[in-house]
Amino acid sequence: MTARARTARWRSFLILLGVVVMSSWVVAAQPPGGGTTGPPGGGFDFPEEEEEAPSWSDDIRAQAVDIGLVVAFSALAFTSFFRKSVTLKYVTLVASVVYIGFWKSTLLSIVNVFGLFGGNLPIFRYSLAWYLLAAITVVSTILWGRVYCGRICAFGALTQLMDRVLPAKWRFNVPRAIERRASLIKYGILGATIVYFIITGNPGIYPYVEPFWLFGLHLRTPVLLTMLVSLLIATVFVRNLYCRFLCPLGAFLGVLSKLTVFRIKRWSECKTCKICEKACEWGAIRGPEIIMTECVRCDDCERLYEDTKKCPHHLIIIRKADILARRAASPTPAS
Amino acid sequence: MKRLVVFLAFVAGSATLLDAGGQSLESRLKQLFPAATSFSPKEGDPPHFTAYTGGSTSKTVIGYAAWTTEILPLERGYGGPIAMLLGLDTSGKITGVIVGEHHEPYGDFSIDPPKFAAMFRNKDVRDPFKLGEDIDAVSRATITMSSAVRAIRNSSRRMARQFLTAPTPPSK
Repeated sequence: MTARARTARWRSFLILLGVVVMSSWVVAAQPPGGGTTGPPGGGFDFPEEEEEAPSWSDDIRAQAVDIGLVVAFSALAFTSFFRKSVTLKYVTLVASVVYIGFWKSTLLSIVNVFGLFGGNLPIFRYSLAWYLLAAITVVSTILWGRVYCGRICAFGALTQLMDRVLPAKWRFNVPRAIERRASLIKYGILGATIVYFIITGNPGIYPYVEPFWLFGLHLRTPVLLTMLVSLLIATVFVRNLYCRFLCPLGAFLGVLSKLTVFRIKRWSECKTCKICEKACEWGAIRGPEIIMTECVRCDDCERLYEDTKKCPHHLIIIRKADILARRAASPTPAS
Repeated sequence: MKRLVVFLAFVAGSATLLDAGGQSLESRLKQLFPAATSFSPKEGDPPHFTAYTGGSTSKTVIGYAAWTTEILPLERGYGGPIAMLLGLDTSGKITGVIVGEHHEPYGDFSIDPPKFAAMFRNKDVRDPFKLGEDIDAVSRATITMSSAVRAIRNSSRRMARQFLTAPTPPSK
């Protein structure tokens, strides 16, 4: 793609984003339709709640801004994903921390997994933006893997940004053998919390297994604050510690990602080459295999595959072409 | 080992969550109707309590109270139903709202603070009850807030329709 074509695409993408956000504002600003005014006169003869509730279009209008923002944010996240762009990925991560995290706190949560078991999901009609985000998460996990974990989740975005900003020399690389075992802890937590929920019927366990309340900082009990601070300090040294080893929602999506349809391709050279395995921040590559349950589709290895200066696949092809060209140039056989 | 630590954290956490019990029903009803001298047991359809003044011989009804979850069992927020005890006087004004049991993750900064319940005191059932208009919205807790407001609005209207007689005949 030429530079000009790229700028043009960029521009059209930004315009599209703008249009989505603007139109949702416009829809939201429309005055509500008739038939939803208060009850007549001074009496209490309200019609049934069901009839009296605002019409669907009023409900959609009331939620238009949120829906538009979810669409715009997802468009950004998936553009960064499909274009394998590093810059756009970091834009997405910042947007996630700001919008999904501090502004709306609409992170999916283990509470929603409990909801699946207890039939306690929010009411569809009044929570359209949330359902849209949940649907995008489930569908993208089945199609490509844990894209949600890698770019949409605000806590994951926060720890990835931390990793980017903090000096690399502070980082402690967990030995592979320990990493492999530690990545199973999250499944243990997922199972234990679900069992706990089924027995007690109380989802109140969530702040003890999820640090997402940090975005509202509202549960300031000493125990929880200690847990949160120690998790954040540990994350300084072990990158993405929570996502890789502890997150029960990530474990749930990990189970879903077993179904992943479009997997990352591997060259035949990947059997012996270790470049991607070493580069993977998530410990998701073991020899020739990509462990889909650990992979969050960060694109680091996919960018390496396309790097003709680093990936042996290209190096070998280039070397071969080079030798053939040299042979063609000098007809005398090499001694 | 790590799992054990996590498990212990669970136990500690659940213990702290569970002993956050509530006050007695009697004191809650009294809070909604300070002037009441007696309350009926829960009765009728939808289930409600009736508040009376005066002695046992000359009782006057001054209002009604009910759990929103018993009037609208299908209403739910982010983590399930939000139980709220709702008081309504005979003129169709809400005397108070007491937030009871719920499992909303963002409840502690949206519906738990006294500020939330206070917004409904003396509100007329004919008011619009719209988030961001006559009710303050809370960022980060949209689903919880809208569910709680819907529950209060629809429950109070249902109670008014069922138990109250209009003070003035309809104007038209």
